[in-house]
Amino acid sequence: MSTHHTKDFLFTYIFSTDHKMISKQFLITGFLMGFVGLIMSTLFRLQLGWPGESFEVVELLMGSWQEDGVMAPDKYLSLVTMHGTIMVFFLLTAGLSGTFSNLLIPLQIGARDMASGFMNMLSYWFFFISSVIMLCSLFVEGGAASAGWTIYPPLSALPQAIPGSGAGMTLWLIAMSIFIVSSLIGSLNYIVTVLNMRTKGMSMTRLPLTIWAFFLTAILGVLSFPVLLSAALLLTFDRSFGTSFFLSDIYIGGQVLDHTGGSPILFEHLFWFLGHPEVYIVLLPALGITSEVISTMTRKPIFGYRAMIGSMMAISFLSFIVWGHHMFLTGMNPFLGSVFTFTTLLIAIPSAVKVFNYLTTLWKGNIKFTPATLFSIGLVSTFITGGVTGLVLGNSALDINVHDTYFVIGHFHIVMGLSAIFGMFAGVYHWFPKLFGRMINNKLGSLHFWITIVSSYGVFFPMHFLGLAGVPRRYYTFSEFPMFENMVDINELISVFAIAAMIGQLVFFFNFVYSAFRGPKAPMNPWKSNTLEWTTPVEHFHGNWYGDIPTVHRWPYDYSKVDANGEFVYGEDFIPQTTPLGDNEKDGGEH
Amino acid sequence: MATIVSNNSHYKDELKRKNSKPLLWIALVSIVMFFGGMTSAVIVSQGGGSFIPIPMPIGFTISTYIIIVSSFVFHFGLIAIKKENYGLAKISVVLTLILGLSFVFTQYMGWVTLHDNGFYLTGKESTQESSFLYLITGLHIAHLIGGLISLIVVLVKTVKKRYNSDDSVGYQVSLTYWHFLGGLWVYLFFFLRYSIA
Amino acid sequence: MMTIIVVIAAILVVITASQLLKLAELRAKSKGELIYELTQEENKAQGAMLLLFFFVFMGFFAWQIFAWGDRLLPVSASEHGVATDFLMALTFWVITPVFILTNGLLFFFSYKYSYDPKRKALFFSHSNKLEMIWTIAPSLVLTVLILMGLSSWNQITTPIAEEAEHVLIELTGQQFNWTARYAGADKKLGRSHVTLIGGVNGTGVDTNDVNSKDDKLAKGEFHLPVGVPVQFVFRSLDVIHSAYFPHFRSQMNCVPGVVTQFNFVPTKTTKEMKALTNNEDFNYILLCNKICGAAHYNMQMDIIVESQQDYDNWLAEQKGI
Repeated sequence: MSTHHTKDFLFTYIFSTDHKMISKQFLITGFLMGFVGLIMSTLFRLQLGWPGESFEVVELLMGSWQEDGVMAPDKYLSLVTMHGTIMVFFLLTAGLSGTFSNLLIPLQIGARDMASGFMNMLSYWFFFISSVIMLCSLFVEGGAASAGWTIYPPLSALPQAIPGSGAGMTLWLIAMSIFIVSSLIGSLNYIVTVLNMRTKGMSMTRLPLTIWAFFLTAILGVLSFPVLLSAALLLTFDRSFGTSFFLSDIYIGGQVLDHTGGSPILFEHLFWFLGHPEVYIVLLPALGITSEVISTMTRKPIFGYRAMIGSMMAISFLSFIVWGHHMFLTGMNPFLGSVFTFTTLLIAIPSAVKVFNYLTTLWKGNIKFTPATLFSIGLVSTFITGGVTGLVLGNSALDINVHDTYFVIGHFHIVMGLSAIFGMFAGVYHWFPKLFGRMINNKLGSLHFWITIVSSYGVFFPMHFLGLAGVPRRYYTFSEFPMFENMVDINELISVFAIAAMIGQLVFFFNFVYSAFRGPKAPMNPWKSNTLEWTTPVEHFHGNWYGDIPTVHRWPYDYSKVDANGEFVYGEDFIPQTTPLGDNEKDGGEH
Repeated sequence: MATIVSNNSHYKDELKRKNSKPLLWIALVSIVMFFGGMTSAVIVSQGGGSFIPIPMPIGFTISTYIIIVSSFVFHFGLIAIKKENYGLAKISVVLTLILGLSFVFTQYMGWVTLHDNGFYLTGKESTQESSFLYLITGLHIAHLIGGLISLIVVLVKTVKKRYNSDDSVGYQVSLTYWHFLGGLWVYLFFFLRYSIA
Repeated sequence: MMTIIVVIAAILVVITASQLLKLAELRAKSKGELIYELTQEENKAQGAMLLLFFFVFMGFFAWQIFAWGDRLLPVSASEHGVATDFLMALTFWVITPVFILTNGLLFFFSYKYSYDPKRKALFFSHSNKLEMIWTIAPSLVLTVLILMGLSSWNQITTPIAEEAEHVLIELTGQQFNWTARYAGADKKLGRSHVTLIGGVNGTGVDTNDVNSKDDKLAKGEFHLPVGVPVQFVFRSLDVIHSAYFPHFRSQMNCVPGVVTQFNFVPTKTTKEMKALTNNEDFNYILLCNKICGAAHYNMQMDIIVESQQDYDNWLAEQKGI
């Protein structure tokens, strides 16, 4: 044993091909990146809340990016850009999907590991390298990318236009290309594992909704990320080699550039063809996790299992034909605008179905409020609150006046940012015993939830008012406009909540680290859940089950199933998927 | 026990046999989306109006024939392997490799022609169309290099008689990818022929 | 110094918290309890807090409407803006009740159905009738919103016919200012291209073109006649900008290499708006609403809407090319 100690360590913790270890690697890397993104948002909220005032913390953290504790305007844009990139891709795509797809797909479908453990490891390491490069880009000359996370050219293509479009942007593109490769390899693996590695009896209609969500997410990723890669490649050529795919007729810094014939609109098309499905790549796993948590914790079957799958499929499909709603104001053909309005508003229907199904699942349930339940309920709330304003933004005639204002910021942070991060927290709390073999502290968990939901609504809800007052996004300060003078106190309020939200996350990080090392040992099935992951031993080893993989006999949502006399069928309020069907019992939620 | 199960080589072979084809198919889907992105970029950017057509170099036409032939040749090898005729299989793989390299060569000749006729990849003189033409053909070659590497692996394994009538998954995966590259090129060729050239 | 104190304080907090947690665990263990299991009181309390949160949330919402309602944009100063404002109001009348009701149900159910070991949860897995209802109901509402939205969208995006009476203005954005060019008496704008930029000709107008002879340039502020349709065309010289006229409910991107257009009819003069908003300093404003560089936050231009008479006088004073 001890002679191979270093080797063991290396292959157990670093170059592991075990999906559970890779899942933990994704989780921790994702959270670290998320923490960086969080600090960035706090820093620029300081500037927005108290413009022009100097802060010691800004001075400490931002070095030469500020003058006397006040950040420079282009560095503000760098922070905004990096915050968006890190949160959307590194935390909520890789961190969320990478963690839970890896952990739950093999465990919940009954497989010993992913279809290809090696590719899985590769996926993580590409992600890791990409994260490192993205962080390095903060320290190059000219600063990090600062053209917004949507990196529209020509701003992102011309260092003359903004310093961040120099080396910072180059590293951004390299990091994102590696990230895309990581995401593609991961998604390939998830899809094949779900299709090919299910245990006996685990038909597609017996899959937990988590797996359906991860499966559809992976399909979205495989179809949309390559298009972003092609956009990034074309942009790289424009930036570095003098082609003109996106650039045309530009006069900057006192001279006319050589580029002719290109169109930035082309980039927007390519970008948003990924960009919109990306919203659902972020959101679907969170919805899947919530479905599972809500059903387990209300001790009720999820209402409308098939409708839930159907609506997720509808959302996935529609997400590919709505990208134009980000481009209503680019001078696109008005008829095309009408088509995109129509398809965009259609997404409201499957989303509404999901919300009502969640509500009905809670109705007459028997709810245990673990931190995971709280965050799931928080997710349903943010999904509603952020979702309804989509009806304003998706309608092209209304979009004109709120496009690129704080109304949009409020909308997508609530519906996509908060929902996804709430789903991720719900997942971490719920599967913490599976991840670390220990229980996470409940009281600190609910404290974390309460700080988070109160302060995050406090941050993003008032933004709708700012937007309706015409306040544009990505402004370094609003002091140049007399019409925005009366917004000062709103911005201050938002910033106070933002700082509170950040402090709330410290509670979580403390709880996470403490419980992972010193929390009480977890039992095998702490939540009395039906799904297969709780039939595996608490300690981790490669292969998941001693002996044979269990056979599945029923759908995963037989909670509180009663017989004709009104007694629980097997004397308990849950029936694991491995329990064979009784003589008169029907599967799939039928009595 | 289970730890042993997942480390044992039989289990690993089993996994490979079961999963390599589906993995490849889904990877192909994402490559299709990648080239779909590129070619639709061509369509979108031409919405604007007039452009100078580029004469399609003869090299590209020849390479189209070459890659179609190579697909058939490579496929005969599989039939040979099913009959465990390793001599024939070896010849077919070597021939495919040679055809693949000639494809690369004719593509290169195509670029030389383009360059000589004043169509450049980048720079002031280049147009969007000429850049797209170089870039798309180049990206196809980049994918083809992966195919050539897999051909070399297949060749080594054929020589070592690792395939037999029951187990030829490795060969089939490489073959599917090669067919895909052929099909992709034919699509790209006609697409470029009628949109740019 | 402050930073060091904060860091030390944070470390102390973490150590104390760890010790307290360990203590709590030991105590629970000695009593034979499981620390991670919620007691029934805790569970009830969480349910009640969720319901309380709903009321606080709604209170916060109401307070915002009450406290900030008058800070929103004043009534629309353009003709189509009245229609879109109506549609906006209608949409809010649809989504606000949905928002309150569904959030209310969510938090009320959480409170009502918190765990009780004596009760059994209802095994209720699907109902085709219910699912039909909540597929069809949103569809009907959406149909109305989509149809109304599309009809305004079509009106807004239709360019003004060339023979109709209108003012033609070209707005050119560049880092970080705007230039307005009026078509002048012939109602035609002269050709322009970036390669022609030089000296005073900051936007590259072709001075050899007959149509540019009577074109007029304005910087810093530009004027519009009230009640006359204004046809804008937009250009950009460097990166993407967006011309945002919040008071006129109008916005359009300015894309280098592409010409975009938008039109509206201003209906209220600046003076009228000053009286209406009770604000002597009120001014219509054009701002940039697409990230365009370091000084993006200060790329603006004033707009003065005035009577035809005043407008004509002002335009006559402006410089030609």
